[in-house]
Amino acid sequence: MILIIGGRGAGKREFAQKTLGCAPEKTLPNLQVREPLPSLEELLGYEAVICDEVGCGVVPLERKARERREAIGRLCCQLAREAQAVYRLQCGLAMRLK
Amino acid sequence: MLGGSACGKSGWAEDLACRLGGPLIYLATMEPWGQEGAERIARHRRARAGKGFTTLEQPRNLESCSIPPHATVLLEDLGNLAANEVFAGEAIDKAAALSALDRGLRVLEEKAEHLVVVGNDLFRDGEDYPPETMAYLDVLAQVQADLSKRYDLVAELVCGIPVFWKGEPI
Repeated sequence: MILIIGGRGAGKREFAQKTLGCAPEKTLPNLQVREPLPSLEELLGYEAVICDEVGCGVVPLERKARERREAIGRLCCQLAREAQAVYRLQCGLAMRLK
Repeated sequence: MLGGSACGKSGWAEDLACRLGGPLIYLATMEPWGQEGAERIARHRRARAGKGFTTLEQPRNLESCSIPPHATVLLEDLGNLAANEVFAGEAIDKAAALSALDRGLRVLEEKAEHLVVVGNDLFRDGEDYPPETMAYLDVLAQVQADLSKRYDLVAELVCGIPVFWKGEPI
């Protein structure tokens, strides 16, 4: 499994398909909107998992929103640990972190 | 150490402090407001247990804390410390908060053999906030920019992976 993160519209999906050659049906886009969040085991079955970076803003006032943001962050840390590669996209450019 | 929420920066900062060695002091800046604050503190304590840290609670006035010789100090985190200073009085005084933070951090830098500061990346959601929040963000951003100029290492944690902005990877 390859983890691809970055801001909105950074070119993550195109990178997964065109550069890495991941099949769309084996790619999970928009992990950050999945409710409930899939389990680690399920996510490890994909070729690529794509997630927006959501933790780099002002901490939300609502407890639920705070906890959701942290759950996404922790899940991405676990995914990164298990992933064979981690990429971070910025304006269409990919930086390989792992 | 910079990063967003739940990016793995605490664990990485703790391990870095352990590698730096000496007496390990954990300088906790969070005031345990409410149940969620207490839960957060408990989670961080569990994660830190067994790593050999002595915890000092210091939500404000860093210059007054007593640090043993040759200690490695881990300050967590700057976002809380800045909030405690910015929102300390009736009215918000950015200059006063900045100078209190600067004074405290500089005294701490003198007392500690090594200092690891956990900061916060709160700046990239593109949102506007009420003036008090914007003032807080300005103060935190300024302090972090000041520290990054004079500190040896600046790392951002991304999904638990360190990205080095300044200094040699260690």
